[in-house]
Amino acid sequence: MSSRQRVDHQPAFVLHAYPYSETSLLVEAYTRAHGRLPLVAKGARRQGSALRGALLAFQPLTFAWSGRGEVRTLVRCDWQGGHPLPRGQALLCGFYLNELLLRLLPREDPHELLFDHYAQAVARLAAGAASAPVLRAFERRLLQELGYAVALERDAASGAAIEPDGTYRYEPERGPIPVLPGAAGGDPLLLKGRVLLALARDDYADAATAAAARDLMRALIDHRLDRQTLHSRTVFRALQDL
Amino acid sequence: MKPVNAVDELIEALRCLPGVGPKSAQRMAFHLLQHDPAGAQRLGAALARALASVRRCARCNTFTEEEVCALCASPKRDPSALCIVETPADLATMEQTMAYRGHYFVLMGRLSPLDGVGPHEIGLDRLLARATDGAVKEVVLATNFTNEGEATAHYIGEMLRDRGLRITRIARGIPVGGELEYVDAGTLAQAFYERRPA
Ligand SMILES: [Zn+2]
Repeated sequence: MSSRQRVDHQPAFVLHAYPYSETSLLVEAYTRAHGRLPLVAKGARRQGSALRGALLAFQPLTFAWSGRGEVRTLVRCDWQGGHPLPRGQALLCGFYLNELLLRLLPREDPHELLFDHYAQAVARLAAGAASAPVLRAFERRLLQELGYAVALERDAASGAAIEPDGTYRYEPERGPIPVLPGAAGGDPLLLKGRVLLALARDDYADAATAAAARDLMRALIDHRLDRQTLHSRTVFRALQDL
Repeated sequence: MKPVNAVDELIEALRCLPGVGPKSAQRMAFHLLQHDPAGAQRLGAALARALASVRRCARCNTFTEEEVCALCASPKRDPSALCIVETPADLATMEQTMAYRGHYFVLMGRLSPLDGVGPHEIGLDRLLARATDGAVKEVVLATNFTNEGEATAHYIGEMLRDRGLRITRIARGIPVGGELEYVDAGTLAQAFYERRPA
């Protein structure tokens, strides 16, 4: 067995980067075949380093790295392009996607389909697409890949098709359970069938349905976050109050 | 706990500097004690004095010893322009250009949602008050061209929109004297996406 391992040409994104030493960065990389892993980019903080401009989140890259153990060394980073960087509010949405991956996706747990979905979500945000369908679809795909698929078309009690006007309570570990219509009282897990069907179709034309869908997905994500708060959500709310 | 002697304490204290690990800290400490006690004396006194007297400029938020810094107090600066930068180092670099003669506001940071740095942490409420003082006509957004700097520029622009101000963003692209053949693909691509009528 060789003592050093080298991986080449891995499609990758930077999720976040932190200063590691005066001249290097610690990059939280998200790669297609190796999942999320930390890489040290030596010299990336040096003035004039070619890595410095390339190691930005939201642009498709390929990485090569070597080494074993906890932290490996980035030996090559190639810019792939394909779309401009997201701008404005789309950037905040991108930070949110990155934080979801950083908090929920275990390290070195590759999900190639999720990677492709992430790349597509970033490209859509960069192209100026409406953010709600992009975010809801990514949240659903992430939960599904982590083994918590969100049931949207059949109720979890009888398997009957979801009725648009029916009232359901979404139990995070089971799915939607029909309940008697009553006071909703601001519980994001208590909702009309049409909200589930809108999520299944990615149709957020109706503002009230879109808000209920967002709140349901937020509650389901929170359930998996186990009381961690998402910084990007807090910052987003503070920005909206400006 | 092991007893801390003065040399160890100095080494430990030097490690608060960015990029200084245990080895460099030890080298610095031995250098100061062995070869340059006068330099060490000056360093200690300068640190103590700076800590006691340096504060934030009431107008632009940069470091100063006065209530208002020399640049903000200067009658030669154009009061109708306000340039927003992330750090005092960025302000100094902008000054070197000699292209800009207005005032500044130093954020002392940038929005960084993943690190929990939001609008309050970078004093956007103070910026709002400064930019809407009646004298400012143009706000120049000169935050970095990182995703965090771009997000910061965007939200400051949104915050100041509809307040009768001209909001501009510094341009990015090919370096001066740059030949396309030698420019990295990412920079050239972004310059293409942001091309302008000629
Ligand atoms: Zn000042």
